[in-house]
Amino acid sequence: MSSAPGRTAEPEPARRRRPAGVVSGVPASATIFLILRRMRAPLITLILIFAVSVLGLTLIPGQDTAGQPWRMSIFDSFYFMSYTATTIGFGELPYPFTDAQRLWVMGTIYLTVIGWAYAISALLSLLQDRAFRSALALQHFSRKVTRLREPFLLIAGYGQTGELLGRSFDELGRRFTVIDVQDARIDALELDTLRADVPGLVADARNPHHLEVAGLGHPFCEGVLALTDDDEVNLAVTMTAALLRPELTVVARTTSAVIAERMGAFGNPTVINPFDRFGDHLRLALRCPAAYQLMTWLESGPGAELPPRGSAPAPGRWVVCGYGRFGRHFTADLRAEGLAVTVIEPQPEGEDQDDPDVVVGEESDPAVMTRADLAHAVGFVAGTDNDTTNLSLVAAARRINPDLFVAARQNEPTSAALFAAMDVDALLVPTEVIAHEIYAQLSTPLLWRFVRELPGQDDAWAAALIDRLTEECGTHLGVLWKVRLNRAEAPSLGVWLDRGALRLGDLLRSPDDREERLPVVPLLLIRGGECVLAPDDDVTLRAGDELLLAGRPMARRALEKTLMVDAVPEYLLSGRRVPVSWIWRRITRQQPPLTR
Amino acid sequence: MNLEKVVFGFFVTLAATLNFGFFIGDISDPELHNEYELFAAVVVNLVATVLKFGDRTQIGAVHLSTSLVADLQLIAATIVWAYAAHVSTEGLTAGATASIVSLSGGALLANVVSLVLLVVETGSFRRS
Repeated sequence: MSSAPGRTAEPEPARRRRPAGVVSGVPASATIFLILRRMRAPLITLILIFAVSVLGLTLIPGQDTAGQPWRMSIFDSFYFMSYTATTIGFGELPYPFTDAQRLWVMGTIYLTVIGWAYAISALLSLLQDRAFRSALALQHFSRKVTRLREPFLLIAGYGQTGELLGRSFDELGRRFTVIDVQDARIDALELDTLRADVPGLVADARNPHHLEVAGLGHPFCEGVLALTDDDEVNLAVTMTAALLRPELTVVARTTSAVIAERMGAFGNPTVINPFDRFGDHLRLALRCPAAYQLMTWLESGPGAELPPRGSAPAPGRWVVCGYGRFGRHFTADLRAEGLAVTVIEPQPEGEDQDDPDVVVGEESDPAVMTRADLAHAVGFVAGTDNDTTNLSLVAAARRINPDLFVAARQNEPTSAALFAAMDVDALLVPTEVIAHEIYAQLSTPLLWRFVRELPGQDDAWAAALIDRLTEECGTHLGVLWKVRLNRAEAPSLGVWLDRGALRLGDLLRSPDDREERLPVVPLLLIRGGECVLAPDDDVTLRAGDELLLAGRPMARRALEKTLMVDAVPEYLLSGRRVPVSWIWRRITRQQPPLTR
Repeated sequence: MNLEKVVFGFFVTLAATLNFGFFIGDISDPELHNEYELFAAVVVNLVATVLKFGDRTQIGAVHLSTSLVADLQLIAATIVWAYAAHVSTEGLTAGATASIVSLSGGALLANVVSLVLLVVETGSFRRS
């Protein structure tokens, strides 16, 4: 039982028309051809040196032990040359050589040594050769990808985001392939302690051929993630995936609305803008901190510790430093919440200059900070694209007003420790935002549904749910998994569901002792498109319902027993133990209710 | 004019002609089949094989395979010759000579195929 939580059912490898125009896979023998081609000259040199030496030896007269004239045959001289050229050197066989023969042999020894040295050095330099090595790596990679026999994701761009996501998916037992333009990133992938063997290729993802090699055309490919830090590349990947495999899930990251628009023109990709999402998150954090806490926890993957709950500041005026793409998004979000915002920007453009809420000036200038009137603000955002500036801004703002709610943007992963020491109230790490979003979307589709429904809930509800989760599973998140109550996934429940006799509370009793409840928290119930968040125990289950559950792996196994073993539901509902085996049923003359 | 093509054509043709020269004559008469000619045929065939390395076209692949067949046959012939002349007590008998020459005859066929391919390749050059 090692199937991962939330694993989607194995898709049928679809019979698919091969898109025309893409160069089909790398010919397996490409590297062999390369070696052969480069080895032509050394091999011919070697053959010629051997031929000349052997021929010479057969032509030069020698004598046998009795002093009679004697000539080496081609066989003898080839034998002699073979052991001489390979530096084995058995001596002068079959008879000691004459001086004329020795003269010739002397020449051939040097010649053959040169020939061997040339051939071996050519071979070695070929092995060192960059083109050769990358050809070898490509072949190795494409072989590994072709051999994948389970659903996998194609990750283009293995930066911070890719690495975080890769680890989470690996934790879930999902497979993926990686393509990145920097070899340092692929080295990092190889050094990382992932459970599965992840094929990684150093190549430009803009090239459709490389994507094809990385498994875009593979029948088991279930999604493409464009996570490079270059919007242009992400657009190209989205485009390629949409044109060649329109049925695949595509998730792309970008910070530009224009690029997002262009991506949307190709099929139906999920475009994630970290700034946009962070704005949404922060709005949620301001409105109901517990819901925000719950969302971050669930999106962090199995085993994650419960993040601390922030406290929302009182409504009031905010000060935003850095009015770039992030600042604009964020200001718009705050204004949408009905909050007043003052922006500090050294070089405002166009209409921003006339905006009374824009304070023009260098952020680090104390006079500018005073004009922004930090003392009477409630929130402060350090949103420039420079970590040093952001840190110093946070420090300066806190000196003026220690009670400020401080949000900061962290650009470089290396600054993580500094921002942690600063203890800001909300921290934007774009790479993490993207990784968590994608994780929520792809790990189990129901989790994404749950996260999207969260903003509509109130704070007390979310706090209560967190309490239930910590009660059942502790402060480390257990596994999240989906159960569909149908014939395939819950064969034992058939008749109970049809009768409408099964409550959720009964289903979650322990199959060993019905008085005990399994440590499982139901997060979501979906029935025909309608969803119920955190359904309570009195909900009556029906066939076709889908449940998103959180709990320990042990609880998951226990629930699986309930769903699979015919006799268990009877026990859970009535407390009567029904024999499981056919023989025992005959002996006790007890019949389980018809389950099918 | 492509020097590579000249060298290639030269060796392919020379391999075939040397092979033919060794093959021709009464099949069981050792006097008519010079061992040096066999030696030359082997060497030239090996060179021709190496020259065909690394050509990824279809015709290049067939070239290489015919050459490998010729090598195999000729090396078998030399092994038979070495056995007959050096190991066997009877020496180079009519029977041994016949098997050497017939093996080289097989190699000749492969070389002829190589030649035909060469001609076909040249002939189709204009059209492609």
